[in-house]
Amino acid sequence: MKVVIMGCGRVGARLATLLDKEGHQVTALDNDTYSFRRLPPDFGGTALLGNGLDEEALKRAGIEQADAFVAVTQGDNRNIMAAQIAKHIFKVPKVLCRIYDPLRRDLYSLLGLEAISPTTVFAQMLKEKLKS
Amino acid sequence: MQFNKILVPVAGTKADEEAMELACTLAGAKNKGLIFAVHVIPVERSLPLDSEIESEIGRADSILAHTELLAQEQGCRIETDLLQAREVGPAIIDEAIEREVNLILIGVSYKKHFGQFSLGDVVPYVLKNAPCRVILYHQRKS
Amino acid sequence: MYIIVVGGGRVGYYLTKALLSEGHEVLMIEKNATVSKTIADELGSVCLHGDGCEAATLDGAGTARADMLIAVTGDDEDNLVACQVAKHKFNVPRTIARVRNPQHEAIFKKLGIDVTVSSTNIILEHIEHEVPSHPLMHLLTISDKGLEVVEIKIPAGSASVGKTIKELSLPPESILSLIIRKERKPIVPTSNTILKAEDQVVAVTPPESEDALRAALIGR
Repeated sequence: MKVVIMGCGRVGARLATLLDKEGHQVTALDNDTYSFRRLPPDFGGTALLGNGLDEEALKRAGIEQADAFVAVTQGDNRNIMAAQIAKHIFKVPKVLCRIYDPLRRDLYSLLGLEAISPTTVFAQMLKEKLKS
Repeated sequence: MQFNKILVPVAGTKADEEAMELACTLAGAKNKGLIFAVHVIPVERSLPLDSEIESEIGRADSILAHTELLAQEQGCRIETDLLQAREVGPAIIDEAIEREVNLILIGVSYKKHFGQFSLGDVVPYVLKNAPCRVILYHQRKS
Repeated sequence: MYIIVVGGGRVGYYLTKALLSEGHEVLMIEKNATVSKTIADELGSVCLHGDGCEAATLDGAGTARADMLIAVTGDDEDNLVACQVAKHKFNVPRTIARVRNPQHEAIFKKLGIDVTVSSTNIILEHIEHEVPSHPLMHLLTISDKGLEVVEIKIPAGSASVGKTIKELSLPPESILSLIIRKERKPIVPTSNTILKAEDQVVAVTPPESEDALRAALIGR
């Protein structure tokens, strides 16, 4: 599987590493090269400097051939916009994005984006831990 | 010191009543000074500014009627006014300018916000922007 | 009209002032508390402190009764989300977004934003007007009909000079509506009108036929 990951923060870098180890073709896109320090030295994928909201940068990252696109930058709105570009402009078959704000996640889920809110997931997890 | 036009914002609290009594004393009986009692209904943005919120208007009318009675008992001249605004502070200031009052007298009760003593938003706004003198009649911590 | 402006930067500030002076009910939403306070001090109770992309803030702003929402923050993604939330959650009839990256205009339209304004493109259009050598100028865009009004100056040496309009291979969707000739009255062309060098032709065309139209008129 060919995957483009936008945002090479803790989550993005970790996901890139996991997928790379499983033998997938991974491109990590970030607008700060400093973020790529989080990738392991033996990372076999591509690390690319670029703005994930820019069509040219996305094309350079190979979005046109990608099977999946994951948006995990720090900004909810950046993730939302990038995910919509991937889904509606480049027709990437599988698009995932992170939206911290639960209300915004709910709205965009209704609009057809596959989005995950770590806020909701983590709060739920803590609650379950407290109860057990 | 003589104040012949006094603006008293009223919200229906005990502090307002006492502030009103003080206003009457300052205005002086025998028809010397004039008191304007004003109640401001804050209208939330989901409604047009001129919408008629029955419950609020009913409450405001009874507050103003009660205030008027208080002043008349003291033998004071009073006019009442009901305003609708997005924010209370600016409405009070606009009224003070329009009526050309020379004193704004506000009753304040001791309030806590998130566990801390707080004057709220209105009083600081009035103090900052008032075109005339301001007296805060602050009730002690009960 | 009740108009909500998201973003209290320079654009938002002057826009709010202009809309207020036209007599509209306007509310500006600004994320930065200090900026919001400064604007409220100057313009009165027309500024709300909050995140204009957040449904809760927009709810408090009474977005459900707004006739229009205009997002003019400095970030394209924030403008997109503010407009989409307004449109899909609060059914605001008209949403307008400012775009910084001119490429995003097309994307925003695809994603359902009614109107986009790109300052870069506006400046480019003005430059086109100011540079007389440019053979094709955009006079007007009728976006909801997918048409543009353009002006084309026929340079001497074009293959079209001396030909009647019916002899040209014009794209079928493009219509020549006016010919302005030096020191003569403008004429409404017929199929037998003969083009001359230096004619200024005003045409109505869909943007996608623009290149074909240009080729038919000024190709050598």
